[in-house]
Amino acid sequence: MQYALLIYGDQSAWAELDDDGAARLRAESMPRWLALFEEMAKADPAVAGRELVAASEAKVVRVIDGERVVTDGPFAETKEQIGGLFVTTLPDLDEAIRIAALIPTAETGSLEIRPIVER
Amino acid sequence: MEYLALIYADEGGWELLTDAERRSAYEQYGEFSEAARAAGVLVGGNELAATATATTVRVREHERLVSDGPYAEVKEALGGYFILDCASFDDALAWAARIPAAAHGAVEVRPVHVDEEA
Repeated sequence: MQYALLIYGDQSAWAELDDDGAARLRAESMPRWLALFEEMAKADPAVAGRELVAASEAKVVRVIDGERVVTDGPFAETKEQIGGLFVTTLPDLDEAIRIAALIPTAETGSLEIRPIVER
Repeated sequence: MEYLALIYADEGGWELLTDAERRSAYEQYGEFSEAARAAGVLVGGNELAATATATTVRVREHERLVSDGPYAEVKEALGGYFILDCASFDDALAWAARIPAAAHGAVEVRPVHVDEEA
């Protein structure tokens, strides 16, 4: 089964950091992420992921009566925002839960697991 | 540069569609994908199963907490996404506006982070 692992984190802590602070925090957490990537590649060599820039830089597009309407900021007004996602093929939900719990953001934010529709 | 287009739409509305209406909706997505692929913009995309199938995982104090359901209970839920390779944010917004759900839901566009050292 193919799963999307949606990474929800509180980005306000990052927003308060300057570039150096953000770079330091990123460097500090890097070994754990690299260990995660290794573990994920063992479970599924074809695993793919994307990290997103801050949700504050998001824009939302709607088409209303044929007119394009663009607003600044993310769609959902939640404290935690999607910061990235993985797509991976795993044997079952239990394995997806095991992998999700290894993602460092699971300790401060939330990981949502969603099956991908295969048509 | 890559952009993620997150598709938010009312799941309840989808449930109410007839089979013919769903086929038509999938055709519209097929047409969008074809156009984006032909333009060299389409990197990937997926449809997510309904939020009723979601599982949320948190780890607190080394304890794994697993709950049924999505992270956020919202009327318009994340239902899928496209990854688009566009020259600018404006281009990405123009493509996002062509995603069928833009006309009845909303499409959030987020630049993909590029590691400067990579």
